[in-house]
Amino acid sequence: MTTNPPPSPDDEPLSSPDEALALIREQQRTVTERQIGGVPWILSAWAVSWGVGFLALWSGYDGGNPWFRVPLPVGGAIFGVLVIGAIVVSAVLGVRMNRGLRGPSNFAGAVYGISWSAVSLAAFMIGIALLQNGMSSSLASLYFPAVYALVAGALYLMGAALWRSVDQLVLGSVIIVAGTVAPFFGAPTNNLVMAVLGGGSFLIAAIVMRLSLRRR
Amino acid sequence: MTDLDPVIHAAARLRISATLASLDEGDRITFPRLQELLDMTAGNLSTHLRKLEDAEYVTVTKAHQGRTPVTYVSLTRRGRRAFEDYTDALRALLGGEK
Repeated sequence: MTTNPPPSPDDEPLSSPDEALALIREQQRTVTERQIGGVPWILSAWAVSWGVGFLALWSGYDGGNPWFRVPLPVGGAIFGVLVIGAIVVSAVLGVRMNRGLRGPSNFAGAVYGISWSAVSLAAFMIGIALLQNGMSSSLASLYFPAVYALVAGALYLMGAALWRSVDQLVLGSVIIVAGTVAPFFGAPTNNLVMAVLGGGSFLIAAIVMRLSLRRR
Repeated sequence: MTDLDPVIHAAARLRISATLASLDEGDRITFPRLQELLDMTAGNLSTHLRKLEDAEYVTVTKAHQGRTPVTYVSLTRRGRRAFEDYTDALRALLGGEK
């Protein structure tokens, strides 16, 4: 007989299969929470930036918000700051959630992350080119929100395909619809459509995801 | 209860196995991140990882990120199968008791 020290509490065999299953479930829940728990916050940041930001723009343009007005530069600044804030939140939380993991999933994650910046930049530069070639500022106010909605929607569809996520599929589809439909309302009403449909769908996605995380 | 794999059937090693099993197949995790996910001390985690390594259920590899040494942990195929067999056995036991 060897003289081993008495087993520590977590070395002893578990008392029942129930306890073992509960431990498994609890631990896997923790892992899921840490790996994707930041996503509802990212979605909320975008809900606020699109909801409040587009409302601010809508309140700055002539013919927009009939209830209250905001000087256009202020509206534009609010929109800009909120979007930059949402980008920062997305980047920081995205990096944090994937800390310490190496493997095949890195490539997919990296492509996905870089695509956001690259495609958004491309859309922006096309807009600049159009402006330089005679696009009016009122047309620009239709172009930029619509194309960003298309970029965001398509990237969410990419995410849905990569990670087999129905939530992202729905979110991406609604955002593409918002971006497509909004310009038909003309300036400045397109901003209201983006605020409500775009901002609203981010908010719903954030809530749905938070609830599904809690339910696991 | 005697046909449950004794390597896995202990609270700490079960939690470690469950954590590693829930990573994407082929992914490895660094030791500090694994420690954070388990809320264990480094020494405790090392001890249990060694037992899992002895059973060939996990691979512990040391690499370098620039000049910093990094330790990666992942479940082996055998370890993944052992964990799946273990959870099947648990469910069978619970199903049988109903």
